[in-house]
Amino acid sequence: MSISMSFFSPPPPTHLLISFSSKPHFTDKTIFFLRPANPLLLSAPKVSTDNGAGISAAIEEPKAEQKVAEPAGSAPEGEESSLGSNGAVADAGVKLESKFVDPRWIGGTWDLTQFQKDGSTDWDAVIDAEVRRRKWLEGNPESSSNDDPVVFDTSIIPWWAWIKRFHLPEAERLNGRAAMIGFFMAYVVDSLTGVGLVDQMNNFFCKTLLFIAVAGVLLIRKNEDIETLKKLLDETTFYDKQWQATWQDETRSSSTAE
Amino acid sequence: MTSSIAFKSFTGLRHSSAEPPKLHSQLHNISPPNYCQRRLQINAGISSPKLQNRNLRVAVIGGGPAGGAAAETLAKGGIETYLIERKLDNCKPCGGAIPLCMVGEFDLPLDIIDRKVTKMKMISPSNIAVDIGQTLKPHEYIGMVRREVLDSYLRERAASNGANVINGLFLKMDIPKGGRGSETAPYVLHYTEYNGKVGGAGQKKTLEVDAVIGADGANSRVAKSIGAGDYDYAIAFQERIKIPDDKMVYYENLAEMYVGDDVSPDFYGWVFPKCDHVAVGTGTVTHKGDIKKFQLATRNRAKDKILGGKIIRVEAHPIPEHPRPRRLSDRVALVGDAAGYVTKCSGEGIYFAAKSGRMCAEAIVEGSGNGKRMVDESDLRKYLEKWDKTYWPTYKVLDVLQKVFYRSNPAREAFVEMCADEYVQKMTFDSYLYKKVVPGNPLDDLKLAFNTIGSLVRANALRKEMNKLSV
Repeated sequence: MSISMSFFSPPPPTHLLISFSSKPHFTDKTIFFLRPANPLLLSAPKVSTDNGAGISAAIEEPKAEQKVAEPAGSAPEGEESSLGSNGAVADAGVKLESKFVDPRWIGGTWDLTQFQKDGSTDWDAVIDAEVRRRKWLEGNPESSSNDDPVVFDTSIIPWWAWIKRFHLPEAERLNGRAAMIGFFMAYVVDSLTGVGLVDQMNNFFCKTLLFIAVAGVLLIRKNEDIETLKKLLDETTFYDKQWQATWQDETRSSSTAE
Repeated sequence: MTSSIAFKSFTGLRHSSAEPPKLHSQLHNISPPNYCQRRLQINAGISSPKLQNRNLRVAVIGGGPAGGAAAETLAKGGIETYLIERKLDNCKPCGGAIPLCMVGEFDLPLDIIDRKVTKMKMISPSNIAVDIGQTLKPHEYIGMVRREVLDSYLRERAASNGANVINGLFLKMDIPKGGRGSETAPYVLHYTEYNGKVGGAGQKKTLEVDAVIGADGANSRVAKSIGAGDYDYAIAFQERIKIPDDKMVYYENLAEMYVGDDVSPDFYGWVFPKCDHVAVGTGTVTHKGDIKKFQLATRNRAKDKILGGKIIRVEAHPIPEHPRPRRLSDRVALVGDAAGYVTKCSGEGIYFAAKSGRMCAEAIVEGSGNGKRMVDESDLRKYLEKWDKTYWPTYKVLDVLQKVFYRSNPAREAFVEMCADEYVQKMTFDSYLYKKVVPGNPLDDLKLAFNTIGSLVRANALRKEMNKLSV
């Protein structure tokens, strides 16, 4: 979308110039609207490569560092493996190490006093900070050291903060889907069979359909979920089948013995 | 139709003991229903002839924990036992952890145990470290042994009970063809005997036996000769590292478990203390080609604690993930790793190998009436029944744990968080040390389920946010 917008950015100024001459009293407002729009359009491609707005600024720097660390790290690693089994484990000096640092990460946990907003803890910021830390560690696994143990426990974040941040938007989406499906299906069934909504609720078949619709909305949230559910069913019974394989043998041999 | 019968008989085993005799009378047309209470004697009497002038001959191929335990039980039961082991001083690559119940059940002397691990540290992908072991009673521990010490102790005990220990390499086995008289025809084993006199290459020999127990490990040749089928296996890669003494103090009685995608996509990395060094390793089923990368990541995660160490040995071995399709064929039974009795999630195999060897030997001793009668497949099947009935819950629970908690990084974070809970620690250690799935207090179980779901939800929610960051 950003690319197409940048294609459109040249035409509006020329259009603007034409309208300029015809309606002077409107053009002031239009210039005002379009000019801020142009810089925004031109900068839109840049913003997308920056991966979003505020949050990314902090991780931009670590990401660049990470890219530097990796090529530098892989060369000495290749050397280390060629040294073979007689090589010593200590090679910290050669590899470029970058630990996770954050002013609010103190003593292996998040210092909640630094997350204060209007007198109470800003849990959303704590969640954001922890997300950033895990993301960082996924890319740069760190050695776990005894002098500096990590003791953060996600359960210190109260349950309502989790619900507000994660559950409510999802619940809204699912309830919206259920409402749309419900209204549409009620209308379709009514138009096809003439059975009104109250009578539909009394009918067993309609109640079954309702159950299936609700289950479908809850379980299938993305297209991939259908495959995932099928695989899950296989997975739960696969181990049992492997254990029972030897018993299938027995009945075969005993039935041939008859 | 056959599969549904198999289903029924198998699920019947998991119900109360009142049911199995009834179901067995359906499958065994030999034993009439009203004799089903004393079916053992009737079966042996009707279908197995008494042996004249000799005792039953059984060969145990493989002299590890499974073979040693089986040979000892057989020899004690009065059976002519042959234990064939190719390398008597074999230093097998292995985690080396044995549960407390093994010491009691197999009367192991305490000097076999190099170290008593009483604390474990679980370290999550984001380095959240949780200590477990506070709920252990003073006499409870996980024993760390050297395989060469344990294996030779069990073999020697078998020999002192009357088993013939042969230093040889099993090559192949001649299976008696079906038809009349095949119930008593012997199995002819071909092996190469190594003894000091002949020298390196060894001497080809044959041995005639009435039954065979295959205890020859993950790449079992006995399994191949009976067409037991294949299994999925994990590769465990381990480096033994000698670390400076001051760092070794930390690992005095502590083992560590590292989880994370960097360390292994479907297993865990570990640092286990051995007699005077530590074993740092990892394993995987699905990404065997990347095992070296995972090993480097494991070493990196433990870096501060093993700094200055020297690698003294590198080893790798396969770990079966599930039992072979056929664990029994006529009078040949598989036990231990050869059968695939390694648990998921923890990858524990020593105890189960020894126990299955013993159970199979007990079934043979019983079925043959202390070596006086010939055995047949149904006698050996009893060992499978007993095994499946006793240990199926353990295997299933560990399978479920692996499926739920080793799936992804969020699941592993939740796993480590859950391990901080005292109830979880108590349940885990109780079931690990005593090999019984303990039901526990239902109210606590409910709270545990609630907390598990909570942890999983939180970790997955954080993961979704992480994905948004990278877009």
